[in-house]
Formats: sequence, structure tokens, C-alpha cells
Amino acid sequence: MRILIADDEVLSRRLLQKTLERAGYEVTALENGRLAAEQLCKRDGPRLALLDWMMPELDGPGVCREVRKRNEQSYVYMVLLTSKEAKEDVVAGLESGADDYLTKPFNAEELKARLRTGLRILELEDRLVEAREEMRFKATHDGLTSLWNRGVILDLLGRELARSRRERVSTAILICDLDHFKNVNDTYGHPAGDEVLQATAKRLLSSVRSYDFVGRYGGEEFLVVLNNCNPAFGLARAEELRKTIAQRPVQTSSGVVPITMSLGLLLSQEWGFRPLEELLQEADAALYAAKEAGRNCVKVAKPSAPCDIRDPRVEKAAT
Amino acid sequence: MKDTDKESPNSTFDPEELLARVENDRELLQDLLMIFKEEFPGHLQALREAVESGEGKRVVAAAHALKGMLSNLAATQAAAAAAKLEQLGRNGEVSQFQEAFALVETNALRLLPKLEAYIAEVHK
Repeated sequence: MRILIADDEVLSRRLLQKTLERAGYEVTALENGRLAAEQLCKRDGPRLALLDWMMPELDGPGVCREVRKRNEQSYVYMVLLTSKEAKEDVVAGLESGADDYLTKPFNAEELKARLRTGLRILELEDRLVEAREEMRFKATHDGLTSLWNRGVILDLLGRELARSRRERVSTAILICDLDHFKNVNDTYGHPAGDEVLQATAKRLLSSVRSYDFVGRYGGEEFLVVLNNCNPAFGLARAEELRKTIAQRPVQTSSGVVPITMSLGLLLSQEWGFRPLEELLQEADAALYAAKEAGRNCVKVAKPSAPCDIRDPRVEKAAT
Repeated sequence: MKDTDKESPNSTFDPEELLARVENDRELLQDLLMIFKEEFPGHLQALREAVESGEGKRVVAAAHALKGMLSNLAATQAAAAAAKLEQLGRNGEVSQFQEAFALVETNALRLLPKLEAYIAEVHK
């Protein structure tokens, strides 16, 4: 564990450093408060600090105040070192943001025990952060496939569309649906159906670029967003996805399950400034057409009339 | 050495307490004593100048630094004298600076040879 010591008095600093190194800490020893605050405010700075009260440039409570001003970063556990005569200042010290204080000259055992308290607090924080991250993941991802969930993929698509319009490029929207998935569940059982969905998710993820998005849209429906996708290659990319799914059956615990997928493709640039909901409806209609055409194929959603590529909002403002 | 210290409970400095403070690390102890020998004259001089200036703030800072060093070395009496001077500085009792400083100086100067002897003993 790293710890920062700030004390302008060299003897005291040396004593602290040695005591803590012996206790297994990795010590950074500094001689003034300003340097200490700089180190502690860094994103990956030490999370434990032992600060002398009286220091040049910035005193211990001053360091505490600076550190507490940061937000959304790991907690820094700070212990102030004060002399016995200044006990009435303890309240002020704690109110500056210090977690604890220790009177000088310190007792090595007490010092180590108090720092262990700090370590417990930091461990607690780590566990809470870990739990929060887990919750965040669960709130944004589909439990079965670990793909983005419906809410998030739609949100990402909305943002991507806005960006592609700004940058005058095209986003490809693909609604993909496993063919005859109900039969899979009925024939091989639901656990095998789940395995098929998981395998499908993996195959989709492995065949898109790292900056594309794949989400679970519904039961056996997936939404793939290909960012900045050249319209000339949109269909070819969709075909690749289709082949990746169909090229080999899925090995499940209930046997080998052959799968295919139907896809509805929409290239945003061909549709001008139509709202997201309409684009999804059109892509869904293309998917329906692919199903009608015998499944295991891609159909492209085409606007009936050439679209007006001018921004309707700009148009309105002009007239 | 131990015997003479046991005679006066409020001793110039307490080797046992000092050893406990460094967790019996004699090398560190020697290090600290060397640091003290090096740093002490400068600190004492700074304190003397602060006292002569009659500025409370300067006296507080200088006395505080010296007190820290002395207390870390378990030099109880000298540390107490420095603490007294620090307090006087805080209260701005300029008239008492000289007297209190003399006490710091006497105690600290009495401490030095004892520390020297102790370093030699630890060195063995």
C-alpha cells in the first residue's frame, strides 16, 4: 500500500518513513504541503496520507481541504499529525477533511493501528466501488448475453445517428432475428435456446469492429449499429454477419443446433432526418421482408422516394 | 548511562523511550541522531534570531520545529522548554522570550553530549 508523508521537519520525516516502510508501506516522503496536495490530487496518487499540521506553503488542514475538493475519485484517507499543545485545533483539523489525527511525538504501534483503520475504510470503499460497477454493468447489459440491453443500445444508436448527421456519414442499422428460434426452444429445450443466444451474441461481437455496437433488442432479436459505415459496403457487411451466424451450427449441451439469421438493414444517410423510431420501423419492415423471402438473408430498407438530405430544422428556419 | 538517567525521571533524554520509538532499530536511531546533530545548530540559531526579532510568529515557527525534533528524540525537558517558548510566541509575550530561550538553549546543550555518548554506545 502506498502512503504519502508530508512533514517539513527532516528528523520526524525520516522516523515516519522508516517506521512505515518497516510496516510494509511504500512511502513517498515530502517536505511541504503544496507538493503533498499535488500528489494526492493526482488520479492515481496515494490513497493514504500522514500530514504534519504545521508546514510551509500549505499546512495539513489546507492539504485536506484541497484533496476533498476533488470529486469522483478514490477516497484519500488522511491523518493529521499535531502537537499536544494544539489539541483545541483538532476540531478544525477534522473539519478541514482529515479522517483522524495523531499527536506528536507519535507511538509507532498507535500510528500503525490508526493507519490500519484507514486501510479498512479504503478496502470498504473498494468493495463498494466494485459493487457499484457490477450494478452499473447489470443495469446496462443483458443478463444472458452480456450485450448492451435494449435501453442502452437504443440510446447509443440515437447518439450515433446524431453524430453521423453532424459528420455527414452513414450509420448502418441492422435488426437481426434468429430464424425459427421457437423451434430451437421446443426441440432442444430452453437451456439450449439460451446457449444459442449466447453463441449468437459472441459471433455478432466477433464480426463487428470494436467501435460498433451490438445489443439484445428482444427475445431472439439483436440490434447491430455499424458506425460510420460506407453505404456501398453496408450490404456486404450485413452479409458477412449473416454468414458468420449460419456458417456452422451451435454446439449446445442438448446437441448440435443449426442456426440461421434474417436481417433488415437500413443505411441512415439514405433516410435524411427521419426520427429514430421511424428508422427502426423501416429496418423492422426490411427484416420482415427477409423473413418473407425465405429467411437466412438480408433485405435493405429503401425509401420510396429519394430523401431530402437537407436538415428539416434548417429548412424551417429558412422559410 | 542508563543508571544516570534512571536517577532523574524527568531526564534530559530517555534512551529506552527512544529505542521504543524506533522499534529497536539501532541503525535508524543512529541516523536520527546524526540528523539531529546536523540540523540542531541551524534550528537553534533560527530560534535565537526569531527571539531577537521579537516577532511572535517567527518564534512560534522556530520553536515548533525544534520542539518536534526534540520530542522525537525523547528529549523531554528540552522539548518542554521549546513548547513553552512556542506558547509564549503564540500569546505574544515578547518580554518572556529571552528567558524561555535561555532555558531551551541550556537544556539542548546539555542534551548534545549525552546524545554523542549515546551514539558512540549504540555504535559499538
